[in-house]
Amino acid sequence: MPAALPPVPSLDRLASIGRDGSHLSIEPADVRGRFVRWRTALDAILIAIYLGLPFVRIHGHPAVQLDIATRHFFLFGGDFNAQDGFRLVFVLLALGASLLFVTALYGRVWCGWACPQTVFLEGVFRRIERWIDGPRATRLRLDRAPWTLPKLARRALKHTAYTLIALILAHAFLAYFVSFPELTEMIRRDPRQHLTAFVWTMAIAGGLYFDFAFFREQMCIVLCPYGRLQSALMDKDSLIIGYDEGRGEPRGRLTRAERKGTRWTGAPKGDCVDCGRCVAVCPTGIDIRQGSQLECVGCARCIDACDDVMRKLGRAPGLIRYDSETGLAGQKRRLLRGRVLVYGALVVAALGGLVASTAWRAPFEADLMRIEGAPYVLDGGVIRDEYELHLVNKDSVPSRLRLSAEAPASLQLTIPQRSIRLEPLEDFAVPIIATLPRADWKRSFEFELIISDAASGQTREIDTQFLGPMQ
Amino acid sequence: MADTLADNGAVAPADGPDTGHDYDGIRELDNRLPNWWLASLVGAIVFGFAYWTYYQVFHAGPTEMAAYHAELAQAERAAKALQAAHPLDDATLVAMSKKPAVVAAGSATFHSTCAACHGANAQGLIGPNLTDAYWIHGGRPTEILHTVTSGVPAKGMPTWGPVLGATRVQQVVAYLLTIRDTDVPGKPPQGQLYQTAIAPGGK
Repeated sequence: MPAALPPVPSLDRLASIGRDGSHLSIEPADVRGRFVRWRTALDAILIAIYLGLPFVRIHGHPAVQLDIATRHFFLFGGDFNAQDGFRLVFVLLALGASLLFVTALYGRVWCGWACPQTVFLEGVFRRIERWIDGPRATRLRLDRAPWTLPKLARRALKHTAYTLIALILAHAFLAYFVSFPELTEMIRRDPRQHLTAFVWTMAIAGGLYFDFAFFREQMCIVLCPYGRLQSALMDKDSLIIGYDEGRGEPRGRLTRAERKGTRWTGAPKGDCVDCGRCVAVCPTGIDIRQGSQLECVGCARCIDACDDVMRKLGRAPGLIRYDSETGLAGQKRRLLRGRVLVYGALVVAALGGLVASTAWRAPFEADLMRIEGAPYVLDGGVIRDEYELHLVNKDSVPSRLRLSAEAPASLQLTIPQRSIRLEPLEDFAVPIIATLPRADWKRSFEFELIISDAASGQTREIDTQFLGPMQ
Repeated sequence: MADTLADNGAVAPADGPDTGHDYDGIRELDNRLPNWWLASLVGAIVFGFAYWTYYQVFHAGPTEMAAYHAELAQAERAAKALQAAHPLDDATLVAMSKKPAVVAAGSATFHSTCAACHGANAQGLIGPNLTDAYWIHGGRPTEILHTVTSGVPAKGMPTWGPVLGATRVQQVVAYLLTIRDTDVPGKPPQGQLYQTAIAPGGK
């Protein structure tokens, strides 16, 4: 089956899509080197972070938990509810702007090093494939081999492992939205009792399995909008993984005589020996020597591969390296450019908005509303106005709110509870009844309710109108 | 170096068909679309057409309004079933008023919340006296429960159901049933006479 053969990369077509439109699986070769070592360490750290965030507890709450059903959000020790939703604007703006900023400076470092797609594909799924199916040459041979029992067994083993891990990842993903006790309870119980969560988790597991078992680099090349945006965000001074054409070309293999240094054939040759290692190790199947391309996710495997070859040949490493287009052309790379400053200013502005809005976040909310129905009641010799004070504790610790009022002496205020204890994010409505003898009534007037939070020392004054009949 | 390009014997493909379009040196090629991409496009069109036919042409599925009403009806049936399984009638409330723990909890809520208007001894202040045999909005236990839960906004009784929750409202009613007809001197009687002796438990 020719489909199993990786095609020679060309700028004119996707290496991972065959001439008939079929998806060709890319089988990157093994590679060793400093970037691969760093990746191994970083993958372990990031997998721990991505899987652990909902389980690590800060101040007794999960580090990250987005309980959409009850609109209760825990983020790194902060405790947020629906009223805090507008801060999401700053969070998203800050994330978006940082992405622009980092891309302008360092290119696709997110894609190559930190994106969960890369982390779980390279750190988990490809490793499993390597253990079960062996190195590249073996995998290519196995792909082409007829469906014999041993092949069937290997495939079954591999896809069972993929499925198990996809299920684990889907449950870890679910943990971002439901609490850990709830999650374990759901896992134990009959799926029919929580059908929605079950169907979601299975659909996510199915999606993850499809992505990591088959779809892989198509996600980054075709589907991911951020990947497609990159070319607009980068310029000649952005850091990319590039091939030093000036040093490498004209590429060519050395003859045995030339390798031994006994005979020089005459034609000048660059440092690239055209061994093809950089292409063989590429997880998206491109030839980095053809220049920076959309398909390059910036994984740096080709750097390790080429450095290894250069070292064996006794030549300097860095024929393929992290550099900018200007740097590769032998010019000086400029760090501060217009776009870097603009993107940077956007990051600062968004973070500033987030910090300011969080710093000014009141520990409680208090809203005074008139009770539904008539604005006032004439009851014998008195005028009665009724209100409801809605209180929400927005802190992550219990709070005690005290109510007092500043009003004319003739106004009698009935406040059932003047000291209210509220659990975190608990809300409570206190009815407040104001009565005034009709003899003292002239016209409507303002009075003030004072709500104070002993713990934070914050006080809120609410002015409201006392209403009565027209004279 | 086992893994090199030369080892796998791949052959370079010919250039993709050129449309002849050239924009600032960027050529447009007419490569075949990825099959998976094409399939998702065709699939979306087929699904969209089928969905439209199903819901808009043949009206085979319920509209959003119908689905909403069906869900409401189901919730109502569930509430009725719950009521049938654990009836909250006059007798149940009277039975609750015989449980000291329930009454104590109701008393606590009454003194923190209701006493401001009805008086510490329920003798009546702004609100009516709750210790006499006269009731403005009905003296049956379920009627008292309804008054506390839904309030009487026009007369100034707040809607306590959402504030206190069903349990605490029931506890308060249980407490009220222990102090009714004790005639604490206070606000004069208002409303209709409700005679517990004639209708014990209120059936």
